[in-house]
Amino acid sequence: MEVIMMLTYDQPGVMQRVMAEFTRKKINVDTIVVGPCEMSEKSRIVISVRDRETALGVIEHLRALQEVIEADIVDHRRHEAYAIMLSRDGVCRVTGTVEEVESLIKKSQPEKYIEVVNAI
Amino acid sequence: MKGARAVVELLEKQNVEVLFGIPGGVLLPLYDSLVDSDMRHILPRHEQCGAHMADGYARVSKRPGVCIATSGPGATNLVTGVATAFMDSSPLVALTGQVATGVLGNDAFQEADSFSLMMPITKHNFRVTDPKTLPEAMKRAFLIATTGRYGPVHVDLPIDILQAEIADTDMNKEVRVPKPRRNLAGLLDSIKLLEQAERPTILVGGGVSWSRAGPEITRLAELLTAPIVTTLMAKGSVPENHPLVLGVCGMHGRQVANYALNNCDVLLAIGTRFSDRVTGRLSEFGAQTKVVHVDIDSSEIGKNVKGRVGLIGDAWTVVNALIAGLQQRKKRATWKSRILELNKECSCDFNLESNPIKPQKVIHELSKLLPDDAIVTTEVGQNQMWASHFFKCYGKRMFITSGGLGTMGFGFPAALGAKIARPESVVADIAGDGSLQMVSQEFATAMENDIPVMICLLNNGWLGMVKQWQKLFYDSRYNATNLGGSPDFVKLAEAYGAQAIRVDKHSEVTDAIRSGIKSDVPILLDFTIDPEEDVLPMTPPGKSASDWIKGRCQWKGGGE
Ligand SMILES: Cc1ncc(C[n+]2csc(CCOP(=O)(O)OP(=O)(O)O)c2C)c(N)n1
Ligand SMILES: [Mg+2]
Repeated sequence: MEVIMMLTYDQPGVMQRVMAEFTRKKINVDTIVVGPCEMSEKSRIVISVRDRETALGVIEHLRALQEVIEADIVDHRRHEAYAIMLSRDGVCRVTGTVEEVESLIKKSQPEKYIEVVNAI
Repeated sequence: MKGARAVVELLEKQNVEVLFGIPGGVLLPLYDSLVDSDMRHILPRHEQCGAHMADGYARVSKRPGVCIATSGPGATNLVTGVATAFMDSSPLVALTGQVATGVLGNDAFQEADSFSLMMPITKHNFRVTDPKTLPEAMKRAFLIATTGRYGPVHVDLPIDILQAEIADTDMNKEVRVPKPRRNLAGLLDSIKLLEQAERPTILVGGGVSWSRAGPEITRLAELLTAPIVTTLMAKGSVPENHPLVLGVCGMHGRQVANYALNNCDVLLAIGTRFSDRVTGRLSEFGAQTKVVHVDIDSSEIGKNVKGRVGLIGDAWTVVNALIAGLQQRKKRATWKSRILELNKECSCDFNLESNPIKPQKVIHELSKLLPDDAIVTTEVGQNQMWASHFFKCYGKRMFITSGGLGTMGFGFPAALGAKIARPESVVADIAGDGSLQMVSQEFATAMENDIPVMICLLNNGWLGMVKQWQKLFYDSRYNATNLGGSPDFVKLAEAYGAQAIRVDKHSEVTDAIRSGIKSDVPILLDFTIDPEEDVLPMTPPGKSASDWIKGRCQWKGGGE
């Protein structure tokens, strides 16, 4: 899996324009997360695709879009994981790098972990 | 100030001289404001042609051409013209009217989702739904069209925005767009590759026409003793009478150009996307060749030809950097003499004196007789390929053609736009009878606005190029390619008040062309040509150079 992260302007039509690049390149997108971000009038779009070649084939096209301020392929070490576990204090959330979260799950009682989302 | 007035003022501030547009209901406020402007307005007879005219104007002036269409059908008619400009990286600003923002999205009368329609065929587009953003959108449109890789930009203007009040503060807001990143990290590697090359060749593409880097590239070629081959889009960007310039390569290119492309050890490719019409089968293209790829658009590097040294920047800058960095100068005498010798062999005489007239003869005479600053446009099909193969472009001559999209009907309106941009030059459209019938209504525009272009119609009675493919690859099972029912083109031109000459014999060709050059009204030369003449040589689609079809071509140089 490769994750592409974009910072874009937050206005109608941006998703259509971004997705059109994937359509043109025949890329089937695995996941999309999009929403307004910490900067006003800007959004972040996070998209995962199958492999590195696919990501490399589209990244420069994304960068060429006027409404895309930045587009990068996320460094693997930065893939964040998110898990929900049962602990003594009830349900708790754990976030961190994939390795960190996985080792935490192993250290606690694995049967008590509820769900892990390995996306961003 | 009202939105419509603001649009006019913003166009004037961009020094726009001429607009190509057709009005309609939602554009009435804009057209009312245009009454008070000095900008020239040309009324094409179809929006597609308005876009082609703006495109032709842009390709000659190297400045954005502006075209206007109304909402709905006006915008959909404009689409082909905008897509044509997009594929050839030509800077247009296309304005369309739109229904009022209050009903947008409700299927109002003459509503089409122009914003979505134009999105994939423009470099960028705007739909102005807030009067505050109108000035910014207009200013950015012009900047985007001519920053980095050129391209068309579309602005959709709802009628209520044209009627809204625009604040001075918004009008005066400064606007910037990001400059494309330059990346010359591979410069030293590139220079080393070029210095060590035994058989270097330079492939130039349309980017070089836009950045006008021809003289620098010719200089670099001399320093490297490297032949230059061009794509169709780059024809005219380097002088075709220079000994190292081998002409257009590709499917219908000159064999010596294809030879250099296929036998070089290092290829310096500048401003080209490695279209399939240039490379043939991509997997076999230059398997042993090292490629240095220069492009202003980073998304082109590695798109079609992978794993090569990329230099990102505009052609002019990068070529100057390469020239400055070159240390060693190899003589490369064997490569040079081989190329010069083969080039001689490839220069057959196409002064074919037979009847019915051979199209090559017409192009041969045009090449001889047109002035050194003439502009040639073409339609699409055999006419285009004969023109590209046999017309020599040098000096201030220009060659304007729809290379990327291959739009029939481009040449005539583009010629009108070109003539407006450079009225002192002879402008000739090398046309086909099928293509011309798609846009022949523009005789009215030419007459009304006194735009004296010359149309050299290679009239073969067929959709010739498609017929040729049916002949060669579908066992001559001709279908839907014969143009029965065509008009008498001489009478057609005359009906508009244009001049026209029919030419049936090879002996009449030169006189007709001379009259065409002298004419100060639009003139049609209707050359009745041999309907069985094919465009050859040819490398069949998806094949490599060794599979070529020869025809009359005398080329022996492959040496395989
Ligand atoms: C708008 C459009 N429709 C269809 C085609 C497909 N096509 C390519 S060449 C050609 C025939 C062109 O005929 P004509 O203009 O007479 O030129 P000729 O090849 O005979 O010189 C056609 C139909 C095209 N390129 N553009
Ligand atoms: Mg024809």
